Amino acid sequence: MSQTVAAYRAPTTTVPGLRRIFRAATRSEWTKLRTVRSTMWALMFTVVSTIGLGVLLTALEVSRWDHRTLTEFKGFDPLLYSFAGLNVAQMAIGVLGVLVMTSEYATGAIKLTFGATPQRPLLLAAKVATFSAVVAAVSLISCVSVFFICQALLAPKHAGVSIADPGVLVAVVGGALHLVLIGAIAVGVGAALRRTAGAVAVLFAVLLVVPGLVTLLPSPWNDDITRYLPSSAGAAMAAVVHFPNLLSPLAGFIVLGAYTVGMLGVAALLLVRNDA
Amino acid sequence: MIEARNVSKRYGPILAVDDLSFTVPSGEVTGFLGPNGSGKSTTMRMIVGLDAPSAGSVTIDGRAYAKHRFPLHEVGALLDANAVHPGRSARNHLVWLADSNEISRHRVDEVLATVGLSEVGHRRAGDLSLGMGQRLGIAAALLGDPGVLIFDEPINGLDPEGIVWVRRLLRSLAAEGRTVLVSSHLMSEMALTADTLIVIGRGRLLATGRVADFIERSSGHHVRAVSPDAPALADLLRDKGATVTDDGPNALSIKGIEASDVGIIAGGAGLVLYELMTQRASLEDAFMELTQEHADYRAPTEMPQPSRA
Repeated sequence: MSQTVAAYRAPTTTVPGLRRIFRAATRSEWTKLRTVRSTMWALMFTVVSTIGLGVLLTALEVSRWDHRTLTEFKGFDPLLYSFAGLNVAQMAIGVLGVLVMTSEYATGAIKLTFGATPQRPLLLAAKVATFSAVVAAVSLISCVSVFFICQALLAPKHAGVSIADPGVLVAVVGGALHLVLIGAIAVGVGAALRRTAGAVAVLFAVLLVVPGLVTLLPSPWNDDITRYLPSSAGAAMAAVVHFPNLLSPLAGFIVLGAYTVGMLGVAALLLVRNDA
Repeated sequence: MIEARNVSKRYGPILAVDDLSFTVPSGEVTGFLGPNGSGKSTTMRMIVGLDAPSAGSVTIDGRAYAKHRFPLHEVGALLDANAVHPGRSARNHLVWLADSNEISRHRVDEVLATVGLSEVGHRRAGDLSLGMGQRLGIAAALLGDPGVLIFDEPINGLDPEGIVWVRRLLRSLAAEGRTVLVSSHLMSEMALTADTLIVIGRGRLLATGRVADFIERSSGHHVRAVSPDAPALADLLRDKGATVTDDGPNALSIKGIEASDVGIIAGGAGLVLYELMTQRASLEDAFMELTQEHADYRAPTEMPQPSRA
């Protein structure tokens, strides 16, 4: 006010635009991610489980190759075993994504976060962008590595595929993108529910329990519904051979992307409407 | 300057803050007093935009907190010193905050030094002592060199040296022309630190004003006189319009008249005085008096005596 007494004077910087606030928020979120150990553990778990399980299951399949039945040959997806680890990796990414929000509510640090960036939807966007970038890097490295190792294992049986074969590159990138979208959905679930246990439970129920229940439905329904579940839509993105209960990779991406946008939209709305 | 205009906050059936209006001016320390559960923290949460008021408005320098961009440059707040990720180092805790508002790493080290934590900056925040955690919270508030500072119970967990340090810090921040709002339940602390007080009870404004006026106005402010002729003196004083009550053998408690006048009256009548002094009420007394009817959770004044077996 007018009665400013002595040394202190209000800073006369220009008012930052939303883009600049977003950039600062992503930088801050990156600092948060890299300065906590749980991030490193979950990401390492993602890499190890993706590569480890893929290689293990592919090697097992190769070892019993000559005993396989004809039907097994017919529907063989050379990427199916390679990407088996993604199912486990998505759990690690899911938990980490939930924690991006819920750990701040648990410690109370969310008060500081909102205090520093009161533009809450922008902050959520910054969290999702930063986390997604990290997940994208880690899962791309994992998916590309496991692809090449597994195809090398399959090569002696002439069952491997090349990255240049139709649909293969899409599947490898799709596998990584699948993890990115699951991670983003998890951030949204964490923001909406605020509590780690509840958010993890909901996420796992949707990804693991619901698909199991849907298969119990009578015949045309089970496949019709399964196709549009987040888990199947994600799996479709990483498949080369297509089963009747899977969408095409592009359709899978659109469906899972729609879930992601929807979840984050709900989360942003709740963040704005509710007290911190 | 912080301005609250007819602010209310309702949580379900509970009205935590009820039509509260006040102004926190720059250049002085304003104490925010009230019994536990009176709505201090809720009000502070509304000031920094964490909770939205059910009615009314709170502004900082004329704008709602949420309208500020990079607010750490304008407002620093310590609401909860425990609000840190225990696994992150103290310095990194400040680094992410700094990053969010384009504050330099140099400034991070500067505030760590200001609060005396340079040596332990690498330590996990969860391993810091209660007092160190409090200092880290203060460092976070100072990070953006803001003109408005809000501290919720800043001396919690500090040792005597730390308390003196906070007191000096608050005084110097105000002397630099900043707006400083401090909540505390320690009235004696406010008497030493604050210039002005805002007193609330059950979410309502009970009083505002200078600390000195609070003490002055309190009914605890009186003159004590001891005289062998106490009854005669009492009669004389009552004639002059003073309120006199017995205060032990030969002792009188006198209100509405200064000690010097008591002496003059006694001297004029040839009455002997053994003792004559002004009893200043502490801020505690003033506060207790104000909040008497408003205390929600205060313990009974007198402890029940243990019954003898």
